[in-house]
Amino acid sequence: MAKAFKNTRRGITCELEKAERDLLRGLFQDIVTLLEPERAADEDPLWALVGMDPNADAEHFPVPRDRAELRLLPDAVRDDADASLEFRRLTERGLRERKVGGLRAAALAVETSPLLLSPQAAAQFAAALNDVRLVLAERLGLETEDDAERIHDIDDWSRADTVEEYLALVYNFVTWLQESLMQALLQTL
Amino acid sequence: MPIATARTDVLPRPETEGATLTETPYVLIVWNDPVNLMSYVSFVFRSHFGYSEAKANALMLEVHHQGRSVVSTGTREKIEADVAAMHGYGLWATFQRADQA
Repeated sequence: MAKAFKNTRRGITCELEKAERDLLRGLFQDIVTLLEPERAADEDPLWALVGMDPNADAEHFPVPRDRAELRLLPDAVRDDADASLEFRRLTERGLRERKVGGLRAAALAVETSPLLLSPQAAAQFAAALNDVRLVLAERLGLETEDDAERIHDIDDWSRADTVEEYLALVYNFVTWLQESLMQALLQTL
Repeated sequence: MPIATARTDVLPRPETEGATLTETPYVLIVWNDPVNLMSYVSFVFRSHFGYSEAKANALMLEVHHQGRSVVSTGTREKIEADVAAMHGYGLWATFQRADQA
């Protein structure tokens, strides 16, 4: 079983078991797949470099249809679809690129044991764990504080029979890990 | 080659200049959701905005208990950048004109 993150003089560290590291890497990679922007074969790499979208001015700019994807890339203006769309045209591509970059870095970080992160890398790792939790929460239908409590109570790996119970256990593990990382990170401020 | 010089009648009028000086302020609103950890939200407020521990915790608790909180105020450009940063952290943030918040 993983031990909590610790803030040490060398950096923020954590010991994870092989199975836990494999699980996390798989989760980070799943979300990279979900978020990676579609890229035309002939696209100028400069677009990716500056985080802008060559289709920003296209007549039809697609809003994410998958609920988990929408949770990671939410509307920026409440109750105003046009203003939200305008914001998406200008910023969504950059946001996707930044998230994918952070998730890839996180997937790479769990290759080594123990994990050793600078405060800056740890903040990025925390954001990657948060993205994982947002997606798992969406898949679990976690919308209210009551849902959160119901899912929190699922804690017995030996009795996980359904996909939902398994997802809930994974969610709780990632939540525990992120909370322990936040306690270590808050000590660095 | 002659170079055209600006004539006084094409210079910006005082009232247009005044309008840009008193730009409408915008606000960043962070909304409550049952996923983001209180420690994480507080950390983001402290590290991104440079808020004190006390201020960050007060704002975080306002989000948690009131369902939303105005976390930052400024020009539209600044607030749009803040919203993009909050989305990068996975927080549920929107922006709007301060007088409509």
